[in-house]
Amino acid sequence: MADRFELSPTPIKQFTLQNGLRVVLSPDSAVPVVSVALYYDVGSRNEKTGRTGFAHLFEHMMFQGSENVPKAAHFQYIFNAGGTMNGTTSTERTNYFETLPASHLPLALWLESDRMRSLKVTQENLDNQRNAVQEEKRLRYDNQPYVNAFLRINELIFKNPANAHSTIGSMEDLDAATIDDVQEFFRIYYAPNNAVLTIVGDFEEQEATSLVNKYFAGIPSQPAPPGADIGEPDDVARTQEVFHDQLAPAPAFVLGWKIPPRRTPDFYALSLAADLLFEGDSSRLYQKLVKGDESVVSIQGGIDERRGPSALYIFALPKPGEEVATIRDQIFAEIHALRTSGPSAEEMEKLRNSLCNDVVRGRQSTMYRAQRLAEYTLYDSDPTLMDSELDHYLSITPEQIRSSVERFLDIENRVVLDIVPATSTDETQTEAAASPQPPGEPKQPAAPAPQVPAQPPTQPEVRAGASIGAGENRTEQQPADPSQQIERGSGPLHT
Amino acid sequence: MTNTQQETLKQPPPPLPPRPIKLPTTSETTLRNGLLVVVVQDQRLPLVSYRLALRSGDAHDPAELPGLADMLTGLLTEGTQSRTSREIADEVARLGATLQAGANSDYTTVAASSLTTFSDEILELLADVALRPVFPENEVELTKQNTKESLKQQRAQPSFLATEMVAKVMFGAHPYSVTAPTPEAIDATTREKLIEFHRSKFIPNNAVLLVAGDVEHHSLLQRIESLFGNWQPGEVPGDEFPAPPPRTSRAAYVIDRPGSAQANIVIANSGIRRTSPDYFPLLVMHTVLGANASSRLFMNLREEKGYTYGAYSSLDARRTAGTFRATAEVRTPVTGDSLKEFFYELGRIRSEPVSEKELADAKSYLTGVFPIRLETQEGLIDQLLQIKMFGLPDNYLDTYRSHIQSVTREQIQVVANKYVRPDEAAIVIVGDAAQLTEQIKPYAEDIQFYNTAGKKKSKSKGSSEESGARYAGNWSLQIDTPLGQSIPATLTLLPGANGLTGKVESEMGSGELISATVDGESLAAVVSLDVAGHAIEANIAAELTDNQIEGTINLQDAPALTFSGIRTDADQAQVQS
Repeated sequence: MADRFELSPTPIKQFTLQNGLRVVLSPDSAVPVVSVALYYDVGSRNEKTGRTGFAHLFEHMMFQGSENVPKAAHFQYIFNAGGTMNGTTSTERTNYFETLPASHLPLALWLESDRMRSLKVTQENLDNQRNAVQEEKRLRYDNQPYVNAFLRINELIFKNPANAHSTIGSMEDLDAATIDDVQEFFRIYYAPNNAVLTIVGDFEEQEATSLVNKYFAGIPSQPAPPGADIGEPDDVARTQEVFHDQLAPAPAFVLGWKIPPRRTPDFYALSLAADLLFEGDSSRLYQKLVKGDESVVSIQGGIDERRGPSALYIFALPKPGEEVATIRDQIFAEIHALRTSGPSAEEMEKLRNSLCNDVVRGRQSTMYRAQRLAEYTLYDSDPTLMDSELDHYLSITPEQIRSSVERFLDIENRVVLDIVPATSTDETQTEAAASPQPPGEPKQPAAPAPQVPAQPPTQPEVRAGASIGAGENRTEQQPADPSQQIERGSGPLHT
Repeated sequence: MTNTQQETLKQPPPPLPPRPIKLPTTSETTLRNGLLVVVVQDQRLPLVSYRLALRSGDAHDPAELPGLADMLTGLLTEGTQSRTSREIADEVARLGATLQAGANSDYTTVAASSLTTFSDEILELLADVALRPVFPENEVELTKQNTKESLKQQRAQPSFLATEMVAKVMFGAHPYSVTAPTPEAIDATTREKLIEFHRSKFIPNNAVLLVAGDVEHHSLLQRIESLFGNWQPGEVPGDEFPAPPPRTSRAAYVIDRPGSAQANIVIANSGIRRTSPDYFPLLVMHTVLGANASSRLFMNLREEKGYTYGAYSSLDARRTAGTFRATAEVRTPVTGDSLKEFFYELGRIRSEPVSEKELADAKSYLTGVFPIRLETQEGLIDQLLQIKMFGLPDNYLDTYRSHIQSVTREQIQVVANKYVRPDEAAIVIVGDAAQLTEQIKPYAEDIQFYNTAGKKKSKSKGSSEESGARYAGNWSLQIDTPLGQSIPATLTLLPGANGLTGKVESEMGSGELISATVDGESLAAVVSLDVAGHAIEANIAAELTDNQIEGTINLQDAPALTFSGIRTDADQAQVQS
């Protein structure tokens, strides 16, 4: 049993500067590196109508120069110091992060503080990054089979445009963004009182505290930004649609449900139900459809975890000749079975052990810890959730799982999105083009960057550099199997 | 804030005193059967990670069964002498552990990890799936079906199509030329072929077991001895492969993907083996040119021009061969402009020495990111794995940073001129050919077109006669019979007035070609064979590259036989059309 393991508590020192910047330090001298994460409480859910994709475009602008750091010099300073870095945008937040040799902590803080204090924007740089972002959209969404369907399904699940639209946004809205938009967004959202800074790694606490004060204390706070309106009715926006995908080689479908916000008892329970349904080779749907019936090539799912109404997805790639409706019924039947009998004792043991394993394994990386600490501080004002969140999951009972499946999954209030291969000359093309929102979010970057956590197609992230690794043996990686692309969790777009 | 304070914010701050890197200490033990065990103590967390690695990978697939190693790794966890597929999946899940197998060109790994609590259980599972898989018929059949479907999915990915073509044109007869199975090879895979591959490659004297974690060394070794001690050694497979074809001129290979939202560009040159003495200078050069978001390619094509989300180079150095590549995915209308900037940068890295600052920055980057890779057990094992699988020196990690530091500007220019060769480059582009051809013409006189199935399009300039002439010569074939035998044969192709003439010679029978035509890289021929005094007509359908042939031969009233082969008059292989 996994309860035989003991974990020492994560060292946490937290304080707030006078300007409102929340800071969390967590020293660890195992490896002489330091990871810095800066999270701003702004994401695509804060975007105005007509400016979808702007939070992410703005994130790119944060690498285009500030008072003392010229355009693109941010990359250069970090890399030339032997570090890695990136930025990502999700519905919930925008983050910037770097891992460096420990001695370069001052550099990271100087760079982050300079662009929090004094972003410089020019029309030329905005046009340049608009181009880069549009290529990112083509690379990761528009030129990939199935991916745009994942953007569409959010528009069918959510009624509130703030929740429904994609983080990558539309080409038209990206085209419409102006310098004034950039400046206004910076003033409203990029203030110390709207951000969390975390530092994890090999440093002296006192030294780090004084460096944080030196670089950030002088940045003035701003009026609190307006809150995002993420209100959402219980009903999904639309229960059924056909998505014509010019790049898809075979039919597939996505199912989507609206579920309660993260860190609610129902969310924990549904997250565990999701594990039982589609996580790994032992999961119910894998065993039933890929193995038992041999009716699908692959089945995957994920949860888009948000502070507001969230979503759960299942993607299935049927075998040629298999009846899609029958496969769907089998999925619904398995969900119904979980609602009827609840999880078995063996399933509960498996959940417990894999939760413990994941928590411990994640702790190896300083960047992973810096990011989790920042999230818990930004969303929950409680970095100690780093250690205690596991207990919330472990406390969920089989009955809670059963009951949450009954109320949120085994219901008619869900979306069925059929993906149908279409050729460009196909008449159905016009129907696809007529869908309200053009597609958005990306998926895998051209070259996966190993140190960045997995990102799902559900709410992908956008980032500054497609690859920030050393690039050795990059081409040696096996080509990704697109049918294996769907991963869980809410992932942001990278810069 | 005072003015002095503001002044100090204008310049990047100096670093703090450096903190020492504690490189991991490894301890190595070799079991009597030849299994090398490498253990790294890591007591930071109650975790353990194992990786069993075999020095055989996709490159060791039988020529007629590309994808066999990949399929085999997928099937290791689908049944052993004592566990069913379901039991393995449930047991791994019960432990909250991970167990995964995979192959790349050069090696195959079975990886497992768990909390320390389950250290013994997960190691026993790893040993079971690696040593005693049974490849149940029903699981083999299911894997074959799903692999075929995955192949269709892969063909929908432009990056897959680009990688496939680069491998094909750069590696020729070398097995790195193959990046994916074919539907025919999947069909031809049998339980027996899997068992044979496993029997010959999964042997202890071809393997290394790497362990990182919170482990007690002595009891771990006892445990390993009890689980792996009876594993029988065998004959270690060799690494003798044909050399990749030398490139003598620039050519473009366009994979037509109508409606493609971008053009995926790869510019490839021949590269180095992982153990080449040029590795470190080339690594530093690659860092200056295109390894990251502050390298020249990214700064030019993205930050200045806005053509792409990212432009990079890649140093693909494997055990027996390699390539050096430059890549970007660009919007279609700027494909030509992007080629211009690529060739500008490829020319500049050759003609001008890199600056002192660029050299220092690249070294700083490479030596700085090095310890970040050692943060996790997986990262640590990855590093040790490369040492063992590529045959790098034991002190590789200790000397890595000094090797980087010793690279000079002169060395960089030498390797740039040796390996970055624009005039011999293969330009592979996946995109909408109708919008690309005119843009590519200024950068390549020779443009070949393919469809997304990888087949050459006959609309390209190469006429039937030219293609035919290109494949004229002697080909040594192995014909597979239904009984699993392999019959040698010789195919001779001669340029003729209308396509090709020639003959087939084998112990089954010999005869003249009645007709033979080449369309792109496809050969269709009819041969009249004299089999024990009887004239039998047989149809031959084959795919050719400069040095390789594979296809089927259809005799009357008999099932089709597959064959594969190589060109034996290699000097003719370089005849250019």
